Amino acid sequence: MDLLEFARGPALQVAAYILVAGSIWRFVGILMLKEKQDFSEPRQSAGVMAALKVIYTRSFTADAFKKATLYPKMLAYVLHIGLFGVVFLFVPHIMFFEGFLGFDWPGLPNGVIFFFGVAAIVSGFALLVRRLTHPVLKLISNFDDYFSWLVTMLPLMTGLFLPVRMGVRFETLLAIHILSVALLMIWLPFGKLGHTFLVFITRGTTGMVFERRGAKT
Amino acid sequence: MTTQQETIAPASPFHGNVRPILNEVMHAIDRLLESDEPTTIDLAGLPFGPGELEHLEATLGTGELSATLNALGSSCIRETAFPGVWWLEHRNAFEEVVGRYLEITRTPEILASQDADIVAGRARLEDQLDN
Amino acid sequence: MKRTPTVGEVLQAKGVSRRGFLKYCATTASILALPPSMIPRIAEAIENARRPSVIWLSFQECTGCTESLTRSAAPTVEGLIFDAISLDYHHTLQAAAGEQAEAARHAAMEENDGGYLVLVDGSIPLGNPGYSTIAGISNVDMLKETVAGAAAVVSIGSCAAFGGIPGADPNPTGAVSVSDLVTDKPVINVPGCPPIPMVMTAVLTQFLTFGSLPEVDKHGRPMAFYGTTIHDRCYRRPFYEQGKFAETFDDEGAKAGWCLYKLGCKGPITYNACATAKWNSGTSFPIESGHPCLGCSEPGFWDLGGFYEPLSTGKFESGERLAGAAAAGVALGVAAAAAGRRKQSKFAKEG
Repeated sequence: MDLLEFARGPALQVAAYILVAGSIWRFVGILMLKEKQDFSEPRQSAGVMAALKVIYTRSFTADAFKKATLYPKMLAYVLHIGLFGVVFLFVPHIMFFEGFLGFDWPGLPNGVIFFFGVAAIVSGFALLVRRLTHPVLKLISNFDDYFSWLVTMLPLMTGLFLPVRMGVRFETLLAIHILSVALLMIWLPFGKLGHTFLVFITRGTTGMVFERRGAKT
Repeated sequence: MTTQQETIAPASPFHGNVRPILNEVMHAIDRLLESDEPTTIDLAGLPFGPGELEHLEATLGTGELSATLNALGSSCIRETAFPGVWWLEHRNAFEEVVGRYLEITRTPEILASQDADIVAGRARLEDQLDN
Repeated sequence: MKRTPTVGEVLQAKGVSRRGFLKYCATTASILALPPSMIPRIAEAIENARRPSVIWLSFQECTGCTESLTRSAAPTVEGLIFDAISLDYHHTLQAAAGEQAEAARHAAMEENDGGYLVLVDGSIPLGNPGYSTIAGISNVDMLKETVAGAAAVVSIGSCAAFGGIPGADPNPTGAVSVSDLVTDKPVINVPGCPPIPMVMTAVLTQFLTFGSLPEVDKHGRPMAFYGTTIHDRCYRRPFYEQGKFAETFDDEGAKAGWCLYKLGCKGPITYNACATAKWNSGTSFPIESGHPCLGCSEPGFWDLGGFYEPLSTGKFESGERLAGAAAAGVALGVAAAAAGRRKQSKFAKEG
């Protein structure tokens, strides 16, 4: 079995099992924890709408912090939108999802995707530089921060290297790209990358708790 | 000279492979005029989309001179509508195309009588005269 | 070694003129993917080359490779046989069979010891030597015996080169490739199912013309023909870049000749000359006819995933296993939550 067969076959499958098992483990593990009892009188009822509202509003910085956080916020948005474009709007990736979802959707031309990818990589590196040089961030950053950055950037960089090639054989580069995605899938549920699915719980919970107290957040 | 083939061609036969070849031909003509240097372009190694080879042939067209060679099958050597640019098509004994070239030259070498053949022919002529 | 006539002498004896010979050399340059400027060197080489002896062994094969070669236009295999090479043994094409044919093979091997070429098509079964025999001799024995005095071995087709369809999952006969068994002689792989006729001829012609073997890649395939992928030479590539794909075999995109990636084309990982040399004397090739590339010149292409599954599809065959993983996740989550809740109660009591 050569590298590409291994990457497309056992590597991706095992990564998929770990991704599913790990994500559900964290999800269930968090949801089943005891809720801290709030003995105060509820100001108003708080339901799903409250949760959804805060999931949405937390995407925008509160006025007080806007100026201070503009730069990292912009970088993060570019990174996320770039990732979204590359992962979900590149036709070969769409075919990958169609393989197990059963449906597909229209994609964008390769040139546009390349632009998304480059933007994501540039913002990713800019964010890393910020983390390494910012007086507070560099003190509080840990293995999770740096490793999560690495496993996110590797698929981006290896993916963008595929059309560039520089003399390396396509199937080797493809195998490396798929293996880097497998690595991302394996790490995702366990580190801060878990925010992929957990962010909705955290924002939603905060929204419901504060809504119950009648506070704006 | 090419056989008419039915191809299920897409709407447009133009995949951008003909223009670069015509450009190369033009540069070869320049070389021929400046330094008498001939050029041969092997069309077999170039990618063509459906209909493009026919388009190239039609664009180059036919000139005043055309010759048929009968050796190991037939071959067609003809000057295109652009003097100095020759279209050579070699076929084997089964009429299958085995080679296609563009030669940018004053006279394709294969048109000239070859020394070995001239010598062999002279020997046969001498035999005939002796008898 | 018996003195065999040079090819130049053979052609002259057949009454081929110098012009005919030049035409032959030009065609040879084309076949070898050499520039026309090499024609004088080729002419000189061919004139002085001796007809090499060629022994063709057919093992577990469908005869498609021989069929493809006999359709080879330039030179025709009949022409090759009688003019350029001395095909001393080919049990499909030859009239003789049984002991006489085997005697001819042994004679050729002895007379040309160290200088003959062995061509093999078909894979070799190791599971049971009786699965494939010729004149009572097992494939593996015949291969070992014949290769002993050979100058080189050429594996014709994906079966001989990589194991091919007999070697595909579950490989019931224990089929292996020639290079799995022959390690002390140069082995050139000419894969494809079947290989492009011109490519097969080119390897023979190179040996005939220059007495040498072509430069090969890591799978032993001649770089001149297997150096680039179909994807990199495909005339439909602009459509791939623009994001224009055929979704089904008869939709508007398919009719307009758009990229076949979504229909399973393996062009990006397939190295072969189909996109430039094409098939049937340059008539067309699978993609041009509207069918995605199968990847037939790659090792193990039968097991690469469905022919109509896009290249980027993972092999998520086991839905049950994923469900199992989900269940494992739930179990771990419940266990973690139980431990967490105990801690929460403890803190609540203490705090």
